[in-house]
Amino acid sequence: MTKTLLIASLLATGTFAAHAEIATYAIDPSHTFITFEANHFGTSTLRGRFDKKDGLVTLDKAGKSGKAEITIDATSVSTGVAPLDTHLKSKDFFNAAEFGSAKFTADKFAFSGDKVSEVAGTLTLLGKTQPVTLKATNFNCYISPMLKREICGGDFETTIARSAYGMAYGLNYGLPDNIRLLIQIEAVKQ
Amino acid sequence: MIPSARLLLALLASGSAGAAPQQFLIEPAATHVHWEIRHFGTSTSRGRFDAVGGSITLDREARRGSASIAIQTGSISTGLTLFDAVLRGPYLLSTEAHPAAYFVTSRFVFDGDRVTAVDGVLTLRDTASALTLRAQRFACRTDNAEPPREVCGGDFEAEFNRSLFGITHSLPFVADKVRVIVQIEAVRQ
Repeated sequence: MTKTLLIASLLATGTFAAHAEIATYAIDPSHTFITFEANHFGTSTLRGRFDKKDGLVTLDKAGKSGKAEITIDATSVSTGVAPLDTHLKSKDFFNAAEFGSAKFTADKFAFSGDKVSEVAGTLTLLGKTQPVTLKATNFNCYISPMLKREICGGDFETTIARSAYGMAYGLNYGLPDNIRLLIQIEAVKQ
Repeated sequence: MIPSARLLLALLASGSAGAAPQQFLIEPAATHVHWEIRHFGTSTSRGRFDAVGGSITLDREARRGSASIAIQTGSISTGLTLFDAVLRGPYLLSTEAHPAAYFVTSRFVFDGDRVTAVDGVLTLRDTASALTLRAQRFACRTDNAEPPREVCGGDFEAEFNRSLFGITHSLPFVADKVRVIVQIEAVRQ
């Protein structure tokens, strides 16, 4: 742990800034979730999440760049209402039989100081790829007392128009087009 | 002075004040209690309770209401089976000893005919504490059912410290402050 801390502090001080120190981080699935919010007939907000996901992030804190590739299992959608989950997996929405996963890839990381502030890339959903920018509402790195390794993570959010991916069910009778995505992510340094 | 809860309930029950209070029953498919808690000062862990039931009395003309809501603590869902088991365990929700949490209120705050807040009491692990739920939105609509039904609902939020209810496990790595977000819709009876 002392060594890790030393390396982390050296990185933080920019000692190695002259040449990029690119570190790879693997998504911690227990602290990584994509939650979506949809307005329900102007009355309340319906929420759901995807329970299965996988991915890698590379981060160069000195060079202030990064890359991310995250796969989301469309069959793992969970709202707490079983018939709704079934409907969401059907052709009307995620069409999980044909498109088993959605994918987010990004290679434009913006920083504010030493913290990631924005991640821009693309989201592929229902076979269609569109640009998306995730804004960080929290970002931090810490040494896990359990794993004795560095973990970086935060909270990110964006709003997508589902019609841009061809998901148009119910738009004509009051289901919303705009869906807010809230992303919790923590990733362990490899 | 604010009338006591008992007096208010008696008034509601007697229906003595002109406009009749309306009874609403919670629609489980559109009612969830979500929570958020900060993990290691880094990211926000989220979960929800899937089994929430109860009844609401609403009198929008007289601007008052009451609600009695039960949350089945064992219905906690984070997307992680192992984590759910830990949360149900004796150090956290202790769901075997305390299978339900309750929120009871007889004080609705209105702006016009819209509910803006409810002041009530949350009972969790047999510990009761005052809690105000603030409305982020509130609306009533007529739904598409046959015959059409009146549905009222909204989004409410509140914060409290979990240590107040004796839930101190993993402090301070997992924050004391819990944000609660309630999606609720209820059908007029």
